[in-house]
Amino acid sequence: MTIGLSVELGGLKLRGPVLAASGTFGYGTEVPLLERRALAAMVSKGIFLRPRDGTPPPRIVETPSGMLNAIGLQGPGVEALIRDYAPQWAVWDFPVLVNINGETAAEYGELAARLDGVPGIAGLEVNISCPNVEQGGLFFGNDPRAAAAVTEAVRKHTDLPVWVKLTPMVTDIGVIARACEAAGADAICAINTFVGMSIDLNSRQPRLSFRTGGLSGPAIRPLAVHLAHQAARAVTIPVVGIGGIMCADDALEFLIAGCAAVQVGTATFANPCAIAEVNDGIAAFLASHGFASLSDLPRYLPRD
Amino acid sequence: MFLLDGHLVARREVARRMFVLSLDAPQIANSVRAGQFVNLGWSPGPLLRRPFSVYRTDGDRIEVILKAVGVGTAQLLAMMPGETISCLGPLGHGFDLSPGPTSVALVSGGLGVAPMPLAAREARAAGMSVTWVHGARTAEELCTEADADEVIWATDDGSQGFAGTAVAAVPDADLVIACGPNRMLAAVASRWPDAQVAVETYMGCGTGVCLGCAVPLERGGYDRACKEGPVYRAADIQWAMLPSHLPYAISA
Repeated sequence: MTIGLSVELGGLKLRGPVLAASGTFGYGTEVPLLERRALAAMVSKGIFLRPRDGTPPPRIVETPSGMLNAIGLQGPGVEALIRDYAPQWAVWDFPVLVNINGETAAEYGELAARLDGVPGIAGLEVNISCPNVEQGGLFFGNDPRAAAAVTEAVRKHTDLPVWVKLTPMVTDIGVIARACEAAGADAICAINTFVGMSIDLNSRQPRLSFRTGGLSGPAIRPLAVHLAHQAARAVTIPVVGIGGIMCADDALEFLIAGCAAVQVGTATFANPCAIAEVNDGIAAFLASHGFASLSDLPRYLPRD
Repeated sequence: MFLLDGHLVARREVARRMFVLSLDAPQIANSVRAGQFVNLGWSPGPLLRRPFSVYRTDGDRIEVILKAVGVGTAQLLAMMPGETISCLGPLGHGFDLSPGPTSVALVSGGLGVAPMPLAAREARAAGMSVTWVHGARTAEELCTEADADEVIWATDDGSQGFAGTAVAAVPDADLVIACGPNRMLAAVASRWPDAQVAVETYMGCGTGVCLGCAVPLERGGYDRACKEGPVYRAADIQWAMLPSHLPYAISA
């Protein structure tokens, strides 16, 4: 029996519920075709208008059941992305969303305008939650007015699906999610990394040159399931769950908690085949529990 | 690039608390070049894989070298023959040992000996005479295995061979290849700007997507040790920006 895994989500029709999270799959061109078969969509490494060097090393450190990263959104800038990567994406059999970043709402708007209509770009993931930049990033993500202003600026300049990626570093993620929905978002991605810190005892210095970094991996998963669930209860647009998914069971937690789809990130670093394994594991679970398709999976989503 | 389940075949001690593991990993053994590495994962083990230069190959086997320093290496060293270690590789760009130079000096400090046996093999195949210069703090920390026409030992405390650093003990050679702590490689860079050095960094994915293994370049910006590296022209790296206060990255 073939299990129906396709989902319609935030303006896109996807062949499955498992996406590659931004910053964990590069531009999709680095890794051989190993795991694209099961990839529903890819979210590209975060991009700014202009090229960025990123932060000095060390940029990553492993922590219990997780990792801290402070890459600092290293990237070639939007023009190079359009020139070098979009043409490759245009011939792939799954959509690519571009994760966009700015220091002001106007910069997000400018990026949206520039990317609108470019072949190979199927949607935008508005990153208002990166903890590793000096300007912008988290600032927009923890204030509902700022979050709405950025979403509105993007919405105004593009017909592409607009997904907004939220930070967990807020008191009530539902408030932010609703503000983005009201400002025209087509979907919510929850969550980005938590801000964390780790100290090297011998040098008595932070292990990361940026001092702090974003915590990802299984360490954050229960927090992420809760926050994605909270977001899903707060809005009527779909929520894409993100946070420490290593296997199909982890992904199913997010799906049952109310998410329409999930993104897999850190797991790909450890296992380049993680996305395919999660996808196939979801199908196997549905089959063994008598569900013909993902849409038949009961969700735990009590409304307030 | 291959992803396969390797099986532990054997283990031997080559210096105090320094071990060589032999793994059955045919596709990698048959394609790896000197200076390339494998990213190993094991269970129970750390969340992320750990990078290891390929030390030697023997038929379908690869060898990696490690020091017992932390939880991860203790897990690896507790494994029994037949147990599985996930191997991703070969990764990165190795040394350029094409024919031309008539002599090469392979300079290593501590675990920096890791890529040298393969480098010796390729250099000899390219018609070079090979000088092996290996240093450690003290005699019992020297890796006892060497493969060269001439072998020079160096110890900081003078307990064996040359008293001083490996870099100070290097004789004249057409080509210098080096691997070891960043401080040592910085010294190599100031003496032989054209030397080929294999750098160590923290690494996330090993495949070029996470940008965690940033190497600061003299021309500005960063590139990736796992993709453009780990071998660089010594003078191309901005050594002052590489962390020197952190423990050896490839030691899990």
